[in-house]
Amino acid sequence: MENVATDENWKTCFSQLAPGLVLFARRWTRSAADAEDVVQEAFVKFWRRNHDIANRGLLYATVRSIALDFLRRDSRRARRESTAMADVDKAVEPAFDIEDDSQRALVAAIDRLPAEQREVLTLKIWNELTFAEIASALGISQNTAASRYRYALAALKKNFPST
Amino acid sequence: MNENDFTELENQLRKLRPAQPSAELITRVERGLAEEGSTSTAGVLPRERRFHFNWLSLGLGLAAAAALVMLALIRLHQPAKKAPTVASKSPLPAISTTSNAQFVPAGLTQVVYHTRDEGVHFPTNSQQPMRRVRSHTRETLQWRNPQTGASLRISYPSEQVSLVPVNGQ
Repeated sequence: MENVATDENWKTCFSQLAPGLVLFARRWTRSAADAEDVVQEAFVKFWRRNHDIANRGLLYATVRSIALDFLRRDSRRARRESTAMADVDKAVEPAFDIEDDSQRALVAAIDRLPAEQREVLTLKIWNELTFAEIASALGISQNTAASRYRYALAALKKNFPST
Repeated sequence: MNENDFTELENQLRKLRPAQPSAELITRVERGLAEEGSTSTAGVLPRERRFHFNWLSLGLGLAAAAALVMLALIRLHQPAKKAPTVASKSPLPAISTTSNAQFVPAGLTQVVYHTRDEGVHFPTNSQQPMRRVRSHTRETLQWRNPQTGASLRISYPSEQVSLVPVNGQ
């Protein structure tokens, strides 16, 4: 990931980051297509200003900001905004390539996590961000990011005792 | 097993692979980067607005720079015009003209603060080798008015090159 952070070739950067970015964006969107729209817009905007991804916290903050704008733009969604997060939590299928029942159960356990914990887990595990970068992306303190991550792991371990 | 040891769980989580985005996503990003002013996804962040902002910033920056340059030019020209006026209007020269004659030399100091031996040379029209020594000095001249006790001091740096004959043995 460090090599990617300093790579100035946007295709190399994007190819490696895109799955994690789309997974992150799906927190606010109801479909993979919408998530890809958000990621496209965010990456284009980010790359034009930065030309590298050394500041990954800003990249994910951009995705988050555009995803929230995307959510608010649609009037139909705006009407539901008060309950949108709950709807999204239920509606969005975890966007993983599941190989067996064990993974299916793990994904189901992830799906049951509070949204804020799942958000930090997504950034930490599948996007390999540091707590400092997560804090920057989400506008929270590093301690809060670390706490949410540990709460998420503890909850998963409780619901998924085999690990 | 330690309840707070999440290593195994983290390894399990890392084995989960996020679904790959569609193949056309990278093409859409490429198009988005190539096209200026396009709003590829329903215009969440219109690029025109961003460029307008950049041009505005550039314009303001250039205007500020131009103002600074003009200010600097005005300041550069002012002392040249005003210097004689100030000198003639200042009451101090009037006093000094009457008392100038009463200033008497009070001292001369010459401080050599750096000397460099530049080696042996054969100066033009000289058969004898000479050693060239370059000295950096600061000379201070001082005048004093015995009646008023006022003093005037001028100090300036100087450079001196000396040729010292070399005695061969």
